[in-house]
This record gives sequence, structure tokens and C-alpha cells, in this order.
Amino acid sequence: MAHITINQYLQQVYDAIDNHDGSFCAELLSFKHPHVANPRLQLASPEEKCQQLLEPPYDEMVAAHLRCTYAVSNHDFVEAYKFQTLVAEQQLQKKGKGQPGEMLEKAAEQLMSCFRVCASDNRAGIEDSKKWGMMFLSNQLFKIYFKINKLHLCKPLIRAIDSSNLKNDYSPAQKVTYKYYVGRKAMFDSDFKPAEEFLSYAFHHCHGSSQKNKRMILIYLLPVKMLLGHMPTHQLLRKYDLMQFADVTKSVSEGNLLLLNEALSKHETFFIRCGIFLILEKLKIITYRNLFKKVYLLLRTHQLPLDAFLVSLKMMQLDDVDIDEVQCILANLIYMGHIKGYISHQHQKLVVSKQNPFPPLSSVS
Amino acid sequence: MNRRRAPRRISLSQRRDAPAGGEWRQRKEERWRGQGKAQAREVEEDESCEQHGKEAVPRGTCQTMCPARELQDREVQNRLHRFEMLAGTERVRRPRGDPLRAVKEYTRPAAGKDSTNPTDLRPPAVLLKTVCYLIDDIAASPHLHPWTEVYSFVFDRLRGVKQDMIIQRVSGLNCMAILERTVRFLIYASYRLCGEPLWLYDPRINDTHLQESLSWLLDCYATETGPHPNQEEFQALGLLYNLGSARATQHIMELSGRLRTSPAITLALSINRAFLERNPVRMLRLARRLNFIQGCALHRHLVTCRRDLLLIYSHGYCSRNCRFPLDRLAQLLSLDTSLAAQLCQAYGVDVNQGNQLVFSKAAFTEPGKGKLHCKMYHNIVAEKQRELSVGNIIHGCV
Repeated sequence: MAHITINQYLQQVYDAIDNHDGSFCAELLSFKHPHVANPRLQLASPEEKCQQLLEPPYDEMVAAHLRCTYAVSNHDFVEAYKFQTLVAEQQLQKKGKGQPGEMLEKAAEQLMSCFRVCASDNRAGIEDSKKWGMMFLSNQLFKIYFKINKLHLCKPLIRAIDSSNLKNDYSPAQKVTYKYYVGRKAMFDSDFKPAEEFLSYAFHHCHGSSQKNKRMILIYLLPVKMLLGHMPTHQLLRKYDLMQFADVTKSVSEGNLLLLNEALSKHETFFIRCGIFLILEKLKIITYRNLFKKVYLLLRTHQLPLDAFLVSLKMMQLDDVDIDEVQCILANLIYMGHIKGYISHQHQKLVVSKQNPFPPLSSVS
Repeated sequence: MNRRRAPRRISLSQRRDAPAGGEWRQRKEERWRGQGKAQAREVEEDESCEQHGKEAVPRGTCQTMCPARELQDREVQNRLHRFEMLAGTERVRRPRGDPLRAVKEYTRPAAGKDSTNPTDLRPPAVLLKTVCYLIDDIAASPHLHPWTEVYSFVFDRLRGVKQDMIIQRVSGLNCMAILERTVRFLIYASYRLCGEPLWLYDPRINDTHLQESLSWLLDCYATETGPHPNQEEFQALGLLYNLGSARATQHIMELSGRLRTSPAITLALSINRAFLERNPVRMLRLARRLNFIQGCALHRHLVTCRRDLLLIYSHGYCSRNCRFPLDRLAQLLSLDTSLAAQLCQAYGVDVNQGNQLVFSKAAFTEPGKGKLHCKMYHNIVAEKQRELSVGNIIHGCV
């Protein structure tokens, strides 16, 4: 591969196309294949040769690929991107984005133009349509947008895929990846119910042997489920090596604020790196709710003195909380629907409903 | 793809959407104009590269705050600002410009306009001196009125400074010193001019430029080698100004541990947390510990904070016999009693004869547009100002 001439290379491409050998052809156009190191193939303007031997659209594709190898050998990565993505536009499913790394925004720009081409392809029939490339391209774009932290750019892609009539016909692998990213986006927009749907789908449909992928999905599914009141079992956490969540889970279900704060700070780096630290902080409200529910169950009355709640918070070593803040926290829980009742300032009591004063978490949005 | 032979069919490179040479750069420019320094820099870079064939970075040589040519032009065209006129010539038909007071104005980049002439560009040291002049002699001056006009002038001239910095791709200590002062000025202005009519001060435009300058500054901190003595202050200001924003919070969480545990940032994070948890009592209590400029950065979120308090109390205390003392609420809101009563009325919360509040979730309403004047409730920030001079606030030597 490293020493063939341009003619031999083109002949191989031609044969591959003729024999419908898609995967071999893809290799010949991929950057992971050793042929890219062959200096005989690194031509600045190979169009003529390609046109001689190959039919359109392959001649242009291969020419673009060869110009790309030339550009890369000259370390002109910008040019390399342009050409390699022109190849990608022809829908050969591969990850040939040229060299990875710093130029992510430029890569996104290129992929976006590919996506637009695919989305607006109305001329070909359904088997040859470029629309089949849409989900793959959006998955790649999602990866970039999440990396450069520009999540708002995902919206037009999601809208385009949602309105396409092919959305259920893509391969399961693509659908799982798609739902994973859409679920993560929903999480960051605080739409927890849809996030749970998407991430659960991704988790259940993800192939059993891709442990790594399942673990990745679980990292985001767990906080969402916990916010909706469903705690994971220890077995699950151990199976996927996610013991960092163990203490968090325990503290939330017990209403133990102290343990929650400790757990969050102990595994801070991990949570921040995954981008879920802020969402886990939202669990504090759930923890308050669970703690106060315990107070209610202990006192067995419907008129709970505010002081009791203050004592419970002090037990959690929250020393700078005073009675005003307790009232504020309670008022917030009532506003959010976690407690059914009202506060009486004159009597300094929380009066809760006789029926179901602490509705189950899954019923509160 | 630019060297194709006669086209046989519509090739990809010729289609409208495909990237190809100059077209690509132009489209990029359209999309990214006004979106921040890095992009603007690249645009300028591409423009100058295209015109001069990959020339070196432009280096300014103008040693005065305003290039001589511009001063002359504006004098002839009668386009001098009154702060730039030679004393005694203001009333004359064609006022004379004072070279010691004239400052290069901001002009929009346009096709065909060469903004890289060295005699028109001011080197970084001159830019810093210009900024100091704008702060000490214009913004902090007790003689120039009204302050809305002072703001307009300083805002425009600072934009000109930033433009010179972008064209010359300035970085390093001078760049950060200029940006720090710009950010402090814009934050201070957002507080001082809060409530002014739209034609005199537009909070949206101020916000756009503040965010741009802030993100450029934070970029500098991230890419330039240290030490950055003011970094703690500005990271905290960034979070306080963008309170509740997931992006801003995530950015702070990704800072080094040492920075994150510094006092200003810890306080800003606690306030942010209290805001996100909807605990306005805690948030207002913590806000009392902020200094003046931090208070200015935070002040627009105080409206939401107070609204949240009234909202959750309307739900939490909602009962027929509810009687909540107005004094207590005033204390929680850090307002005096009469102001607290006014605020309650704006949100539909009923105050009865005995100065007791009757909270009801049905009664709570959002105030109509223009009914609520943030400025009336500024005392929590105002009292931090005390004898601080405007100059010291913006230079940061408090």
C-alpha cells in the first residue's frame, strides 16, 4: 500500500466500486489506512487522472481525498478538512474528518454544510437519498458541540431529524447515540421527564456488550432518575463501576444533608468532569423534602412546630441556618408541590394536609 | 477545488453551501461578526491576509489618543464631541479640537476600508493611557454632566480602544489591564444608569459589550501565563453578573481548586447556589457581604430574588388567617418598611391596616411592564458605595 503508483491506486478504487466492495473502498478513502502516507498519492491536482479512470461522482471524491492527503502532508489542515468533508458528503459512512483536535469549530462548520446537503436532498429516491446520512452527521456534530460547550447549536439538528420521516428507520446504533445526546441536552435544559425517556431508551437499546457506552449513558441517567425519586440499587452501581453515586443515593433517600455535602465534595472532580455536578446539587431540594418528611413521621401530628425543622437542620451541621431560612425552605417546598400545607407565622407552625402531605416524588414534576 | 477545468456539471464546490475560498471566509464573517474577540480577530486576519497576502500583524505608531488625521477630519466636518473641543471654542461655528483631549472614535469596519494604517493605530501602551484618561478625566470627573452623556462618550471611545486591540492582536498585561477597567466601567454603568430612558442608555447594548469584554478577559486568564492578581475578582464578578447561568457556573467549577476556594469566588458560588435553590432569604443575607462593584454586578438579579421571595411566600403562607408582619418582610428584603409595602403592592400582595401582609397564591401577580422601578430598591447596593470615588472603583484600587 505504501508504494503503489497513482494508477494502481485508482485501479484498486475502480475495482472496489465495480465489485460493490463498499468497505474496501471506504478504506481506500479513509485516513486511517496506510495509503495516506504514500507520497506518490499526495498530489495537488489529481483531477485529470481521476477523471480518466473513474466515473462521476467517484472521480471528484477520490480527487478530493488525494488533495486532502497532499494538504495533510503539507500540514495544511484547514485545506485538508475542506477536501475530506467533500468526500464525506458523498455519504460513504466513515469518520474521515481529517486530523482531530483543536479545529473543532471549523470541523463543525464543515459538517454542518454536509448536513445541509443531506437534509435538502430531494432529488434521489429513498434508497439512494442522502437523507440517510443525516443522523450520523448530527451525532458527530453533537459530539463536537458538547465538547466546545455550544449546546444551543444542537437545536436545529434535533428539529430537522424530528421532522424527517426516516427518523425511526435509522440503524439502532445511530438511534441510541442520537437519543443519548438529545437526552443529555434535555438534562441541561432541565427538562427531566423527556431526558429520562431519551436516556432510558438509549440505555435499554444499547448493545449489552458495550459496557463502556452503557456506563456513559448511566452517568447521565442516574441523576435524572434520582431527581424523579427513583434511586439506583447498589448492584447496578457496582456492575457499572459507578460507586461514586452510592453515597449520594444513600444521603438523598435518608434526607441526610450532611452526607450529601460530603459525597458531593469527595467526588467533585468526577462529577464536574462529567458535567453533572450542578444537576446533583438540585438533589438538595429532594433531600430537604425527605428530611422534613422524617420530622413529620416522628412527630405524628399535622401541626409541626417550625423549631423542629430547625433542630433537624442543625443536626445536619448546617449552623448558619436560622428560623427565617427554615420558613423560606418550607415555603419553597410548598410552592414546588413537595409539601401540601401552609405555614402559620403567628403560631410558628407548619400545618400539613391530613391526606398525603408529602406526595410521591414521581408525581411532582 | 479552485483549479478545476471546464465544469461538466454543477460540482460540489460551486454550490452555494459548499465552502470554497473567499466565499467561505465571507460567510464566516457574516455569522460571527459581533460575537467576540476570537472570531473578530480571525475575520480581520483573513481580511488583511487577503489584501496584503499574509502580511505581518499591524503595529500602530500613533502616540496620541487620537490620530492626527482623524482629528483634522473631524474638526473640518464639525464632528467633534464637546468633551474634545479646545476650551473657549465650543460656541464657535467650527470648534477646534484639543489634541490632549480628543480620543479616536469607534468606526464600523467596512469593505474596502483599510483599518491597518500604522499611523492610525495606537500601540498598547498608548491605549492603556487612553483608557486611564477616559476614566480619570471623563468618567470620574465631578464637572461633566449629565452622566448619560459621559457614559456614551466613554463607551464609544472604549469600543475604539478595543478595536485597535483587535486589529493589532494585542495580548498580555496591557490587554488585561485595559479589559479589566472596561469591565468594571460597564458594570458600574449598568448600576448607575439603571432606570434611565432607553434613548439615553440601553441596558441590552451595555450587556452585549460587557459579556464580550468579560469573555475575552477570562480567555486571557486561561491562555496567558500568570500571575493574574485580579483573576479572583473578575471570575467572581463574571459569576455574579451571570447569576444562575449554567454556563457561567460550569466555567467556575472547572477552575483550579485554589481559585475556587478563594473568598470572593466562594461567596459568589454560595450566592449562585442560593439563587438556584430558590432561597432568597439566604441569597439576600449573603449579598450583604459583597463589596460595591460586586453589588453592582449582582443588582439586576435582586429583582428576581425579591420576586421569588414574594412568590414562594404567597404559596407557603397562603391561608385565610395569614398575618405576616410587614416589618419582618422588610428586614428579609433589606428594604425599609415603606419601600417594602410598595413592592408588595406592585406584586399584588395585600397589606392590611395593622401593617400585616395577607399572602395568597391567587392574589400574586407579576407587575405590569414599567410598573416596577429597580432603581427605587437600590439601597442594598447604594449603601456599599459610601465614600468610594468613581475613579477608584473603575481602576480597582479600593
